[in-house]
Amino acid sequence: MSSRAITVVGFAVVIAVLVGLELLGRRRTNRIPTVGEWLGYVMRPRTGRALILLGWLWLGWHYFAR
Amino acid sequence: MAADNLPAQPADGNGADRAPSATRLPMLSVLGSRRARQLLIAAIVVGYAWFAGGSAPFTNRALISVLIPGAVLGAIAYGRPPQRVPAPESIDVTGFSYWIVAVALLFEWEASSFRDGSPRWHPSLTELINPILTPHSIKSAAFVVWLLAGWGLVKR
Repeated sequence: MSSRAITVVGFAVVIAVLVGLELLGRRRTNRIPTVGEWLGYVMRPRTGRALILLGWLWLGWHYFAR
Repeated sequence: MAADNLPAQPADGNGADRAPSATRLPMLSVLGSRRARQLLIAAIVVGYAWFAGGSAPFTNRALISVLIPGAVLGAIAYGRPPQRVPAPESIDVTGFSYWIVAVALLFEWEASSFRDGSPRWHPSLTELINPILTPHSIKSAAFVVWLLAGWGLVKR
């Protein structure tokens, strides 16, 4: 397996883990929060909301303006 | 008796036919206007995403097309926030730690390729995603997803 393939598989595995965590969180049979829940929790203070919104803006700038 | 629980009926008997339609019509009109408003907003979002998706990278048009939604959603979030989904008072630390570890892994994997200058043998996530976003339609669809994610954050 080439280094490039290992890198791609690494990204795929991490993204699959993130999706899996979201699915587990939605099942309500464990203590894992959904992404909406923990984002909501992080955004309770104004600073947290500002940081998350800036992260969202950065994502848009990174993928659509660059 | 069961009849005691029924709403009072008009004495003439014809009112029983008129009353439901009289209440239903304004409701239909409200639903219709809400539907029309949703369709209008969807058309604006898709149209804007199509416009933004057509801008070349590293141009002022591309930059402004990202900054405008950022400014609008920022103003809504802090100026006139919509009715928000109630945030949890607390979250389970152990459950949250799984997210922290996974997100940290993603950033570490990305940072290591970024540090190496994103060579072909160790590309960054951006290098892998950019070719996928090249077609106008895909880029516009991704822009719609990004806008909806932003609105989702404002609603949280």
